Amino acid sequence: MQPDSSQGLEALYRIHRAALLRTLVARTGDAGEAEDILQEMWIRLRHASTFPIANGRAYLFRMAQNLLLDRLREKQRRMRRERIWLDNLAGDAGGGSERADGGPNAEEAMLDREEAARLASALATLPDGARRAFELHKIEGLSHAEVAMRLGISRSGVEKHMAVAMKYLRRALLD
Amino acid sequence: MTARPEIDERLLDEALTWYRALEQDDADWDAYTRWLEADPLHGKAFDEIALTGRIVDDHIADLQALKAAPAADPAEIRTVSRRKWLYGSVAAALALAVGIPALRQQQDVVYATARGETRHIALSQGIAADLSPSTRLVVKGGDPTKLEVARGDVYFAVAHDPGRALSIRAGEYVVSDIGTTFGLNLSAKAVAVAVAEGHVSVAGEGGEATRVSAGQQLIARRDDRSTRIRPVPAANVGSWRQGRLVYDNMPLNLVAADIARYSGKTITVDPAIGDRPFSGVLAIGDGSELLANLSDLMAISYEEKGDSVRIGAAAVR
Repeated sequence: MQPDSSQGLEALYRIHRAALLRTLVARTGDAGEAEDILQEMWIRLRHASTFPIANGRAYLFRMAQNLLLDRLREKQRRMRRERIWLDNLAGDAGGGSERADGGPNAEEAMLDREEAARLASALATLPDGARRAFELHKIEGLSHAEVAMRLGISRSGVEKHMAVAMKYLRRALLD
Repeated sequence: MTARPEIDERLLDEALTWYRALEQDDADWDAYTRWLEADPLHGKAFDEIALTGRIVDDHIADLQALKAAPAADPAEIRTVSRRKWLYGSVAAALALAVGIPALRQQQDVVYATARGETRHIALSQGIAADLSPSTRLVVKGGDPTKLEVARGDVYFAVAHDPGRALSIRAGEYVVSDIGTTFGLNLSAKAVAVAVAEGHVSVAGEGGEATRVSAGQQLIARRDDRSTRIRPVPAANVGSWRQGRLVYDNMPLNLVAADIARYSGKTITVDPAIGDRPFSGVLAIGDGSELLANLSDLMAISYEEKGDSVRIGAAAVR
């Protein structure tokens, strides 16, 4: 197999297509959406010039996950936009001004600010251990092992702190 | 906790373990797929964790800026928020740090629960609120004395303070003059206020205030603005916190609205029987059995189509 020719990509994709589809169907519960994601993936692969062949299968799976996540993110942002819009509609006394000079970009920017503020205020109320582990790992970019050393706790202790943080943020961010 | 969440703690932990495992180069995608196939909820839980991770990743730069800004030292935010829950000033500090000019102190703070989720919130000034599932409480402009129940059922415990003007909006009604514990339920058809201790005043927009005292429940219809008051045992107020819904001559419409929140279904009631009174106790559980239990206790029939349910009079057999 030619690692970085389009033929190699094509072959690799063919080999793993069924397994990718199975995973995507299991994840989304929707065969149509799974096919759409594969289709999008195929188009991107054909335009990709380089391809890290070292672990091609893992690369394809990860790519599929990322495309799926892009869709989820888009859907979630759309729902938040609608909710903010509805809230402004309901609280017309004071909330309407946000949209006055709207336009899609202003709306996106507002959504970003709102999300950043939600995230920051959720982080501020996290339990101390979870907050410190989260900051070291996510914001300062330390690995779990490095976070464990810095905090003087075990790796599994770091995992637990991260799990607490993620579950907490999930509630704060996704309602 | 009353109702068991659809995506529970255990499921989220599993999803987190997989989320972490897939970051590794030697991730076992086949085992991951089998895990997904074991239960449709696995994929949903994973979606939520992955989405949370993505949102965090999208804002890493914001968070780094925030961390670098001395004004927003997390310890400081913590003390402030712990001590007084002055969200307004926290938000202002954040806005400054992240460079968010539009985030003003007048920003509303929204507390919301999902289906199967309950939440206890201690606002400042001795005001505490328990949110039942699928409920939304808005702190208008971050001011804890200006609240709005935008959806669902909230149990309030409010320390009496004559110097404080607390008002809680629900639909077209405003509850004020509060020094008490009471439940406030907003649905499409009505606003229900049940007082366990003390008293409150309830007024429609531009209407006169009605005083509701301990052991009383006021039901205000949202369509014709008619209200009525009847007795309610104090122990039944906020009974959802003990995992059950206790009704005494409650119009079916309102019972159905509660069930819709706990079950996640969209429920319509045949208008001919919407006002029919229901008395009885329903165990909430995970919300999925509520309709069946109701139909055991009351002469109704229901038709389910996906997430939509239509309740009608019992079929003649």
